[in-house]
Amino acid sequence: MRAARTAYPLKWRIMDALEGVAAAIWPARFRRATPYLMLLPAVLLVGLLVLGLIQIADASLRTLDTTTFQFSDDYSIANFQRALTEPLFLVVARRSLIAALIVTAVTLVFAFPYAYLMVRTASPRLRKFLLIALFLPFFIGQVVRAYGWLIILGNQGMVNEALGLVVVAPMRLIYNYPAVLFGLVQYMLPFAVLMLAPALTAIPEELEAAAGSLGANWVRTFIHVVLPLARPGFIGAGVVVLTLSLTDFAVPAILGGGSQDFTANAIYDQFFRTSDQGLGATLALMLVALGSILVGLVFALFGAGTLAMGRSRA
Amino acid sequence: MSYSRSKSVVLWTLVTIALVTLSAPTIVVLGASFTGGNIITFPPDGLSLRWYARISQASDLRNAFLRTLQVATVCTIVAIPVGTLAGITLAKYAVRFEKAIQVYLLLPFTIPLIGSGIGLMLIFGKAGFLGQLWPVGIACCVINLPFMIWAVTASATGLDPDLELAAANCGAPPLQVFFSVTLPAVMPGVITGSLLMFILALNEFLVSLLLVDARIVTLPVLIYNSIRSIITPDLAAISVVFIACSAVAIFLLDRLVGLDIFLKSK
Repeated sequence: MRAARTAYPLKWRIMDALEGVAAAIWPARFRRATPYLMLLPAVLLVGLLVLGLIQIADASLRTLDTTTFQFSDDYSIANFQRALTEPLFLVVARRSLIAALIVTAVTLVFAFPYAYLMVRTASPRLRKFLLIALFLPFFIGQVVRAYGWLIILGNQGMVNEALGLVVVAPMRLIYNYPAVLFGLVQYMLPFAVLMLAPALTAIPEELEAAAGSLGANWVRTFIHVVLPLARPGFIGAGVVVLTLSLTDFAVPAILGGGSQDFTANAIYDQFFRTSDQGLGATLALMLVALGSILVGLVFALFGAGTLAMGRSRA
Repeated sequence: MSYSRSKSVVLWTLVTIALVTLSAPTIVVLGASFTGGNIITFPPDGLSLRWYARISQASDLRNAFLRTLQVATVCTIVAIPVGTLAGITLAKYAVRFEKAIQVYLLLPFTIPLIGSGIGLMLIFGKAGFLGQLWPVGIACCVINLPFMIWAVTASATGLDPDLELAAANCGAPPLQVFFSVTLPAVMPGVITGSLLMFILALNEFLVSLLLVDARIVTLPVLIYNSIRSIITPDLAAISVVFIACSAVAIFLLDRLVGLDIFLKSK
């Protein structure tokens, strides 16, 4: 037995000590609470956002005194009245909402065939190529991608230079609404494809073959078999694209050049240009509310789709 | 299965448009970074590496890049334990209020980034943390945490709970079960999640913009600020740093877990 004791490896000793410490801090009778303990760090971390929202709500109720640049100590709803009545904010809100709807529709139209081909292709090489072409821009970030579009579409950009070679007058391709929409679609495509793909993988290919052998052409197969079964993917992708484009900052700022501000840009300006924190916080709160209402509405109507985490899945 | 011709034509047309749109900015930025001229023109004024030489000399760029790496590291180090534990729990245990907890943990996605960013700016400001880098890392971790949790739950659902019971039955105490059975089983998810967290924090722009000041700008913010004034090829050369990081991340992801993991149905 003594010999065995010296052969007891250090790693085992360390593990024994750790087990001892763990058992002392968290005895076996706490076992039923273990899952909650494991969730605690994540809950606390996300709690920072809740605290932040409370701060925003607090700031939104204080008005700025423009003579002293001090915030009022007492609460009032003046900021909300201003936010709802000033035409500028209504224009900005309508612009971002319409953009979000258009971008969502266009993105889904392009993301679905991409995801479908990626999932269904028989060639592993093509699949890998499509995956890499998807991840490369996804991992590059918005600012660099928008910068790329400036080089291509800018007033002295590639397209205009090329047009100049064939003696066509340069066109203004950026700093307008379509440029922002285009930039957003490009930004959203990877998100949408990645939300759609798992839902498409879940559809057995035999179902399509069966529909085909029963006489349906591919259009009917898509409409009656693939699209309905891919619904969780469309919900996941739709929600993500809708909320991300509704609240985007970088694309309207860079490709809109200040003339196509979205709500997020208006909020930023209130905080950092006008320095009216109260009004900025009010707009931020209303944007959070609008986003949550949209997400809640979709979830209530259709379920969480591919967005669900954990065991119970739609 | 027989593809009809019209189906291939429609599919490929849409996919080609998507491919061109996805890749154009990356390719153009790469091309522009090698230009020989002082401004970006088309066709380019010859090839040169002078802009790379220029950016390697610029200490403000180098420092901004190092700061960005620091932010991404903080984000990933925090996300790994937090997201792994939460992911395993959500995938394996029946907890009370499970739906509510799920909705709560999805808050980082449902609250718009500008809202999260301003909220964090206000609380970090009150706590006197602004002007440092670690709060930026924490902020990046919070806003992207669902990615980490997703990645881990996806691999944890594949783990048969009987394996853990078998280990315990053979006399393994709880920590040993966790480290020798549970953790190896969810490792692909942990790797995927941490790579995602790192690369997303590296690129994070809006939250950085709100939380940094002029002394500690991160690289995406620096690029954004420079874009506004003038377009020069040195910006393209810096942007290539991000393209390179992205390529490395994709390579690692493919080697370590396989990109196909994103196609798996949950």
